[in-house]
Amino acid sequence: MTTTEKLKNILVEDLNLEELTPGDIDDDAPLFGEGLGLDSLDAVELVVIVQKHFGIEIRNMDEGRTAFQSIRSLAAYIDERLPVR
Amino acid sequence: MRTAASPKSRREKKPWSSRSIGSRWQHRFFYSLIRFAGRRAAYALLFLVVLYYVLFRPSARNRSRPYLLRRFPGRNPVARLWDSYRISLEAGKVLVDRAVLGILGPGRFAFDHTGREELLKLAREGRGLILVTAHVGCWQVAMANLGMLRTPINLVIHREEGDVDLLYFEHGRDAAPYRIIDPAGPLGGALEMLHVLKHGEVLCIMGDRAMGSDRSTVAVDFLGGVVQFPFTPYQLASATGAPAAVIFPYKSGAGSYALQVAKVIRVPVNLGRTPGAYRPYADQFVRALEDFVEAHPYQFFNFFDVWR
Repeated sequence: MTTTEKLKNILVEDLNLEELTPGDIDDDAPLFGEGLGLDSLDAVELVVIVQKHFGIEIRNMDEGRTAFQSIRSLAAYIDERLPVR
Repeated sequence: MRTAASPKSRREKKPWSSRSIGSRWQHRFFYSLIRFAGRRAAYALLFLVVLYYVLFRPSARNRSRPYLLRRFPGRNPVARLWDSYRISLEAGKVLVDRAVLGILGPGRFAFDHTGREELLKLAREGRGLILVTAHVGCWQVAMANLGMLRTPINLVIHREEGDVDLLYFEHGRDAAPYRIIDPAGPLGGALEMLHVLKHGEVLCIMGDRAMGSDRSTVAVDFLGGVVQFPFTPYQLASATGAPAAVIFPYKSGAGSYALQVAKVIRVPVNLGRTPGAYRPYADQFVRALEDFVEAHPYQFFNFFDVWR
């Protein structure tokens, strides 16, 4: 499973996105506001989710803002920091 | 895909405003009076200004009515007028005091650091420290005295157009002793708040006023009625493991302030995003706030109907 697919599954489950299935989520749709419709409270949870499921701590605010643009950008952020398998 | 109009992403218009009551020139007049004649002269003028507003501006008087009716139920009309005068006067004194702080310097006030050791101990845990406060007393005096924590202070505050009151350091005497995080900024300032806590810094946030959407609040009983209180401080505490200290900086005398550490709230990690999970912690804050308004009824500056 790719990081993108794994992320979609985790978001639907952990953020209780009841109206959505992982397949409904567009890779490039904005995570916040229009698009997936997440808000600032979800930003806090997203940071926790990334740490819990991928072991990556988002400590830099500017990096976080860039990563949280879309599923694709967040997956890329994670992939860059995951240990090489 | 969700749309922008979905309930999840919709922003509610907040029922309160941080805009100042007086005009810009009125504030400047007070600032000049403080500069040239001192705090007591400003208080003397304030007595008259507040009297005028309470007697002849019912709209100004009505702002404190919902709170006063609950705090002092069954009062006769004359006593209600007196309550309105007292709370407006105390609010005015706090505005004068914070201008005094900026114009004449912090040395003009004695500050009782009750709870200093407790705050230092919490800060030393190294997981960041959340200071949850309310619209009581003068938080700016408290901010000016938190240097003893020896760690950067960050304050969550939103200022609106039309808010002509200067923050105390804006009078130009001192550098800003804290960094401001605007909850109207990108992602409601959530990433900045997490960032500072993860770096072991102090984050000061209001526990009695929601600054984002209604989604960020939980219903808690306050003075006999249900009020929506924000749970963001406790969600941040859960996400970072930071302790949350409830602090109330209040005016303890004509020229003195005290900082009360009313409670330390420990929130378990990873409580998630369900608002109900944070209700017990918001409730702990509200119980501490009720105790505060019991002891200092005229220092809770709540000027809109939070119970509606």
